[in-house]
Amino acid sequence: MDRMKKSTAIAMIVLIAAIFISFDVSIYVLFTRRAVDDMTVEERKAAISLEDYLPFAEGTRAVTVESSLRFSDVDKLPVLDGASALYPVYASVAASVYPEGSVIFEDGAFSEESAVQFRNTLRAYSAVADGDVDIAFCAAPSKEQRAYAASVGAELELLPIGREGFVFIVNENNPVNGLTSEQLRGIYTGKYKNWSELGGPDRMIDPKTRLAGSGSQTVMEHFMNGEPMITGRMFGFLGASVGYSFRFYVEAVPREMSVKMLAVDGVFPSAGNIKNGTYPLVTEFYAVCRSDNDDENVRRLLDWLLSDEGQGLIEAVGYARIK
Amino acid sequence: MKERTFYILMSAVVALGVAVTAALVIYTAYEYKNCSIITYIATELW
Repeated sequence: MDRMKKSTAIAMIVLIAAIFISFDVSIYVLFTRRAVDDMTVEERKAAISLEDYLPFAEGTRAVTVESSLRFSDVDKLPVLDGASALYPVYASVAASVYPEGSVIFEDGAFSEESAVQFRNTLRAYSAVADGDVDIAFCAAPSKEQRAYAASVGAELELLPIGREGFVFIVNENNPVNGLTSEQLRGIYTGKYKNWSELGGPDRMIDPKTRLAGSGSQTVMEHFMNGEPMITGRMFGFLGASVGYSFRFYVEAVPREMSVKMLAVDGVFPSAGNIKNGTYPLVTEFYAVCRSDNDDENVRRLLDWLLSDEGQGLIEAVGYARIK
Repeated sequence: MKERTFYILMSAVVALGVAVTAALVIYTAYEYKNCSIITYIATELW
């Protein structure tokens, strides 16, 4: 009893070690690998690179249009902020209307003095309510964002300035290319649990949701018409996912990322179908300010955004105009 | 092999295995909270 055969003892220890290693490798392959990418948190928030659209920078992709409104160095400049997907819009606004030198970008971020900021939707709304930002370019606010504004005594003024496609995405190897609105809602209410119910393979559906308060999550809640959404499925990571975002954001991801957008109600979310209104899930985006912000230049800029010049800029950046 | 030696070695392997697994689960949960939905879908196994 005091001694056991050495080979038996070693075999048992190796077996236990092998079980742990197999288990950990399975977790890594099935889950960890998918949750980790090689971008930093900040880079992920800005899949559309800040540098790529930096106003006034050499080789910038920010669009510049002929503008009858042109602020000078002596003007009090409205501070702009907004959703990451709309950063190209407000960067282009600054490039077209603001004086050079008003946008200060250092060490990968905008300085506090810069007239252009980047907080994304989650924080841009509170920044407007708090008075730190004059105009935020965002999708519609969530209930929480409206409630926060009310709690600090701010009323949000939402000026629709353009339209964008809300899209559903799956892995490009998923044979399903399109779904109806009813099927998409059914996935997120839990009615459909397997892709085989929707013309796909016999594989569990793994519906992914976004952070509460993000622009896409707020639009999704509207799309669901008040129906409660499931927020994941036990062992869903073994199935095949579906998620949602804005078209511009998905278009901006590197081509080697193997995701594809789904047609909805038989219409693919191409830029053309969004502009001509045939794609059914088109959402407005807004220039948002405090309703009591009576700064003259804020009002001039809001008016300009709805002018032919401003709407031309929206279209030139890649979104659909509102007027 | 002495039984005592065996138990010490086995305990060490189990403790190491539990520690690595726990760390992996915690790390995965942290990354999942911040992960890009596009990356998550793009890296799906097919």
